[in-house]
Amino acid sequence: MRMGGGSGRTGARGAAASKDGKGGPRKKFFVRRRKVCKFCAEKIEHIDWKDVKMLQGFIPERGKILPRRISGTCALHQRKLQTAIKRARSIALLPYATD
Amino acid sequence: MRLYDIVVLVTPDLSDEDAAKVAGEYKKILVDGGANVVKEEPWGKRRLAFPILRKREAHYVYWQVEAPPAAVAEAERRMGLSDQVLRHLAVRVDEELKRAAKMAERLKIKAVRRPPRPPAQPAEASAPAPAAATERSSEP
Repeated sequence: MRMGGGSGRTGARGAAASKDGKGGPRKKFFVRRRKVCKFCAEKIEHIDWKDVKMLQGFIPERGKILPRRISGTCALHQRKLQTAIKRARSIALLPYATD
Repeated sequence: MRLYDIVVLVTPDLSDEDAAKVAGEYKKILVDGGANVVKEEPWGKRRLAFPILRKREAHYVYWQVEAPPAAVAEAERRMGLSDQVLRHLAVRVDEELKRAAKMAERLKIKAVRRPPRPPAQPAEASAPAPAAATERSSEP
């Protein structure tokens, strides 16, 4: 998830870095895919708590809310996502916990 | 008048029509209280993410309602008393939607202000790297 060719820009960037790494001094350079906030990228302004399919993308197997450090969501949208998920949970659209 | 999203979960023990009838009662309370229903969507029988009162399914009914707060409060109070309603949720959405619209507007203005390259930062970050690489390789 972290490395390797991503989509579009990130892919091009990765290729450039590997070319650089071949004979150059920056051999140990780790190509990390840049994480972008999904809501900023797609310009979704309102995070709808009824949109279960979208919210499920931020719910890993255990049922917890995916942390920002992994999903790359920006602080503002993570906060809104959090309330949306909590609302969905309260009417059993999403689980509180699964094992 | 405020805009609300309201969801009611009705017991799966009832048939579809009966569940609709039960939900209709609450709708009537809202309408009598001076609300007008903007959207009405029965989501049908859905699996619950976790069991509620040993039940694994429920009839979901959703409304978007423009209502005075008192009407919503009364409907919610009655829902809480009913045995046929497993869960209910009423959320005020007008302010959130307004804020979202405002943000969208601001983004639009930003986009107009600098139209040449919207994905500015990532492009800049990737562009100098190959250039630097070619310089270095040609030097020695």
